[in-house]
Amino acid sequence: MYAEIAIAPELVRERLGELAETAQALGAYANETKVRYLFLRPQGVLCAAVDAGAGALPSMANEMPLYDWHEREMRQKQGIAFDGHADMRPLSIGDGPVPEAMTAQGEGVNVVVVGPVHAGIIEPGRFTFSTGGETTIHLDTQFSYGHRDIERAMAGRDALEIAPLIARICGGCSVARSWTYARALESMAGLACGEATEFARVVLAELERLYNHVFDLANAASGAGYGRGLAAGLGLKERILQLCAAATQHRLMFDAIVPGGVRTGVLRDPQALRADLRAVRRQVERFVKDMFENRSVIRRIAGAGLGDSQTARLFGACGPATRACGVELDARTLCAYGAYAGLDVRIATAKGGDVLARCNVKRSEIAESFRLIDASLAVLAKSSIPEPQRVECGVGRVTVATEGSRGIETVSVEVKEDGTIERLHVISASYRNWPTVARAMEGNIIPDFPLVNKSFNLCYSCMDR
Amino acid sequence: MSKIYERSLSIRHLVCGSCNGCEHEMNALAGPAYDITQHGWDLVASPRHADVITVSGPMTEAMRDAAAATLAATPHPMVVVAIGDCAIGVGPWSGVGSAGDGAGPELGARVTVRGCPPNPEEIVRGLREAAQLLDDA
Repeated sequence: MYAEIAIAPELVRERLGELAETAQALGAYANETKVRYLFLRPQGVLCAAVDAGAGALPSMANEMPLYDWHEREMRQKQGIAFDGHADMRPLSIGDGPVPEAMTAQGEGVNVVVVGPVHAGIIEPGRFTFSTGGETTIHLDTQFSYGHRDIERAMAGRDALEIAPLIARICGGCSVARSWTYARALESMAGLACGEATEFARVVLAELERLYNHVFDLANAASGAGYGRGLAAGLGLKERILQLCAAATQHRLMFDAIVPGGVRTGVLRDPQALRADLRAVRRQVERFVKDMFENRSVIRRIAGAGLGDSQTARLFGACGPATRACGVELDARTLCAYGAYAGLDVRIATAKGGDVLARCNVKRSEIAESFRLIDASLAVLAKSSIPEPQRVECGVGRVTVATEGSRGIETVSVEVKEDGTIERLHVISASYRNWPTVARAMEGNIIPDFPLVNKSFNLCYSCMDR
Repeated sequence: MSKIYERSLSIRHLVCGSCNGCEHEMNALAGPAYDITQHGWDLVASPRHADVITVSGPMTEAMRDAAAATLAATPHPMVVVAIGDCAIGVGPWSGVGSAGDGAGPELGARVTVRGCPPNPEEIVRGLREAAQLLDDA
């Protein structure tokens, strides 16, 4: 259950520090008068609301750098003042020139700028590398090239009618975000979905994790110069997308999860999907085994792009990259929702925090996703999925957290009496993890950036919004 | 008349506020299922090597300059192909917030590929159309 507490502005530093000891810090968002700091606990999301009307709030960015980007965003978008924040640049590119990159200073430092348009089929972003010799000293990232000002545009729109737009904020985590949004509206309406619907949602979310993780491993293979692995991985991702299309009439499963249930016609033939996935599973296992048995691939990815649990914690990072630092953090178990509670999800972790560890976590999660899908389809084979229920969107405010393929996805939504949006805020797993990509690049050479970056494989679109 | 471009097309992709759905499908072109290299086509790393610029997304404020610079760096003859509903101006984000009315119309696209996102087969069809335009020019 979502819960909200009030914190006095003068106690922000102390109270947020205490909360971060016992709960997972999820970041913060604001309207013009209040800042809301979000935390995830087993009982649900806890929101600590602070009045921002009476003057500047203390910046938390020095002690807890996870608030760095959030504070920059709140200052730019809602005009909230923070005392003591060293980085005064706006987070999003506004009407003026693109904010200057922060670079390392000193003799022999070279600065290399890449982007916003990249060499591959990649979303836009500017990466500014400060290098000493061949080694990266500092990486500055500038995003928001895909900024559409979505949150402002959603204000005043009907909360139910915008569900297809929520599904299209970001193509690669559409299912996770649709599910998060559906759960938010359902919780405000006091609506519970039946067992079959909940198992269907698990199938859809795990299919999304599956195609993303297989794609990520294919990209890691590519980054390591292992062309055969790239080809095999892309072929398997395609096969999975074809099965997604057969199950939901859409390759990326847009609109498969809707407020009130799953769309009519989704997962009509669980037995056929189960049989097809068993065949795909054997092929995926073969692809993964070949990749991990290739010594030149392993040598290439071991030790590259190091992360660690302390950095992950300070930056509020999550998902496979954080689990690859040995941290057992997963919203599916920390705050189990839907049918996950009864599925006994096994959390995969790895040690080392490098590209190899991230690949290892994804390898384990692929196996677990296949297991969760198979178990859920077995239930669905014996029951039928009902039509989506009608959601009576009540007045209220809630934040919901879901585990997407890149980590914890949250949607915060405030609905007015007439069922329209007062405030919508999306914090994606990519937003939570991007700062750690920059840290993981320190000490690596620029040509390893594709390898390091793709081992996180974060999105830009849900970061930019 | 010899069909040069139909057998040798260099493609550069430009993302202008897309949700990355179109990029998932563009990436599929390089995989074994669609493998556009079988036609002699290639996804190239610089607009200076390109015959075709594929664009996705409604167009965002921040991408306008970079998109113009990309087109300016592309040698002629060239064709812009609008990939997906957003780029055509009929997508979910057209005119929403600060998003524009389609990167395609803004950048003079002569070929359009519908879909949210379009299937890889549809993208291949659009690329073939672009090759024909270049060959007929």
